[in-house]
Amino acid sequence: MFEPFTDVVPSFFGMLNQGPLTLTIFLHTVIILPMIWIYFQEKKRLENEK
Amino acid sequence: MANKSVWSDNRFWQRSATWVTGFASILLIWLTLDTSAQISMGNDEDLKNGVQKRVPGPTVINYKITYEMDAKRGHEVPVIGEKEKFFGRDDYSEEEAGALLHLGKLGEQAKNCMDCHTILGNGAYYAPDLTKAWIDPAWGPEGAMQALTGKNTKEEAMAEFLQHPDQYPTHARMMPDLGITAKEAKGLVAFLKHMSSIDTNGFPRNFGKMQGAVNGK
Repeated sequence: MFEPFTDVVPSFFGMLNQGPLTLTIFLHTVIILPMIWIYFQEKKRLENEK
Repeated sequence: MANKSVWSDNRFWQRSATWVTGFASILLIWLTLDTSAQISMGNDEDLKNGVQKRVPGPTVINYKITYEMDAKRGHEVPVIGEKEKFFGRDDYSEEEAGALLHLGKLGEQAKNCMDCHTILGNGAYYAPDLTKAWIDPAWGPEGAMQALTGKNTKEEAMAEFLQHPDQYPTHARMMPDLGITAKEAKGLVAFLKHMSSIDTNGFPRNFGKMQGAVNGK
């Protein structure tokens, strides 16, 4: 899963891009996880409104 | 309100959209800054100390450049080697080399090479890709171009070709005479040599395997 770093210039994005789909998986994770959090917050708010 | 779903609630979508847009903006700004750092040009010191940069300094024209397979990265990378004479000299200062590259860049823009050629991914595919033209085997000691132009070095053969392309019709799609002077040709060859030393993550793909290629394919 973790390959040795092979880019010329080390960078955060280069680090994330060392395996297949690693950048994509990372970006989807950081975007979707807060949406789940927002979902439960809104759910709670709607229930309290009732 | 009975059993209102979160999915049909406006606030959920508003907050999600705000998060995604905000996060993506920050990410893109960060990516831009990261890229700027990666493509910043190196200098003479970097070359002397063997510091690898994606875009080496202009004095890279003093060195031999080869294109070698990097097993780790899975593609070819330009390798800057020993000193090599360029038009009889290997001691171009940073200013001299920079001026030559600048002249070449202006020439490249004035003659609009990209009308037919591709340069670093930009341009046309009517004529061969020039990104790695300097390390094209056709211009090397085993290639045909030195014998064809009657010159003993790669740079002289290239400069000669650039000044009189119509005298050396190597393609069915012959390059026209663009009225390039000897001085401009020298700048253009320096520009091409520097460009071939840029680490383009293996683009154009499989370039080094093109030995004996026909019509730039």
